[in-house]
Amino acid sequence: MNKAVENYSQHFTLAELIVHALVIELEAVQSYKDLKEQMEECGNSEVAGLFEEMSKLEAGHAEKIREKAGFLELPELAPWEFRWAGLEPPENIDLAGVHYLMTPYQALALALENEQSAVAFFDAIAHDCTDRHIRSMAQEFADDERQHVAWLKEWLAKYPAPDADWDHDPDPPVAID
Amino acid sequence: MSALAACKLKASDYKSGTRPVWCPGCGDYHVLLSLTKSVAELGLPPEQIAVVAGIGCSSRIPAYLNCYGFHGVHGRALPLATGLKVARPDLTVICAGGDGDGFSIGGNHLLHACRRNVDITYVVMDNEIYGMTKGQPSPTTAQDWDSELTPGGTGVSPFHPLVIALASGANFVARAFSGDPSGTTKILVDAISHPGFSFVQVLSPCVTYRPDQREWKTMVHPPPVAFTTDAAQAARRVMTDDGFNIGVLYKGSRDRYGQTVDCNARYERDLDEEFLV
Repeated sequence: MNKAVENYSQHFTLAELIVHALVIELEAVQSYKDLKEQMEECGNSEVAGLFEEMSKLEAGHAEKIREKAGFLELPELAPWEFRWAGLEPPENIDLAGVHYLMTPYQALALALENEQSAVAFFDAIAHDCTDRHIRSMAQEFADDERQHVAWLKEWLAKYPAPDADWDHDPDPPVAID
Repeated sequence: MSALAACKLKASDYKSGTRPVWCPGCGDYHVLLSLTKSVAELGLPPEQIAVVAGIGCSSRIPAYLNCYGFHGVHGRALPLATGLKVARPDLTVICAGGDGDGFSIGGNHLLHACRRNVDITYVVMDNEIYGMTKGQPSPTTAQDWDSELTPGGTGVSPFHPLVIALASGANFVARAFSGDPSGTTKILVDAISHPGFSFVQVLSPCVTYRPDQREWKTMVHPPPVAFTTDAAQAARRVMTDDGFNIGVLYKGSRDRYGQTVDCNARYERDLDEEFLV
């Protein structure tokens, strides 16, 4: 049960595709907000600030998708009715990759991985879909995500990779003294 | 968007303003998310929900929800939830906690809550450890878990929550994984909607004391077959379970407590009689 992309495109209508794209961004907004709070709680203010920035960026992306949807009536889907390639929307940060001492580089690397998953998600739909309009829209979403990948790569290049002992805690949550 | 959709409560409406103090990466964040999504999907008004918990990391959950909550005594969440539901059957009562609180300190209450079949949902966030007290083994810790506190392993067979719940009479038995919030939401919707006592074990990694549990996401899998309504069949399945089947195992049809006898009416009448002058 990982983020492997499968072929779902034949089941998507245009409205369903858009609602998936929108929910990817909205869930990412919330996911980054939550992570920002988690990092603040444990004093990792640098990564908290980064997650806050990511949340704002995703909110901007969501707004653009809303504009694309225009007056199209979007379906209301229950959380389990979405057809993600993995367990969660592709842009949600995998909590298993989060650590209270994580560095900005690691946070951005996680975000980059998710944007790449989003590209793969939309590419798979664009590749397999027979409907011209849906394929075109999926391609557009994939291109948007590719742009986000490029930004994140630039951003990532500004930070050093973590040291080998990045998770060393001088006062660790030890099991015994 | 329809007017009805515009009025519908969102998952975020069920979150309180209190920030969780769980470790970053803790699986309980996703359980909180799934719980808020499930009550939003069911359209339950916050004032009609009560979440009761005991003690432990996961038992902090009532504080993070915008509904009625009770943070009770260690291991005693189920008796509290049972009493509340019997006194206020109109409320949706959800009991939540961890494996230590539910299977060790409150282990005996689990047996009788299953047996009584009061219409409550019990969500156990199982990380196979006592996280709040810094990493002691819990009833679900594997026998060979080697740590500073358990050199060479615990030497004790782990408790099998689904087997116990089924054998004790729970009317709904399921296992979820916190890293699958959509799947967990669906299971919680089913559990809350099902009459009687619903038991949901949620595998929820403790990233601080059990970093090995980060791998659970690659180990969980859907069950090979759909749920059954036959307790004997469920028992056979669960006895050969690898511990990572995610989904509903059993949906029973036993009468919930109070369905055949109007306990409340009799209780209120008895009380009234005591105060007659």
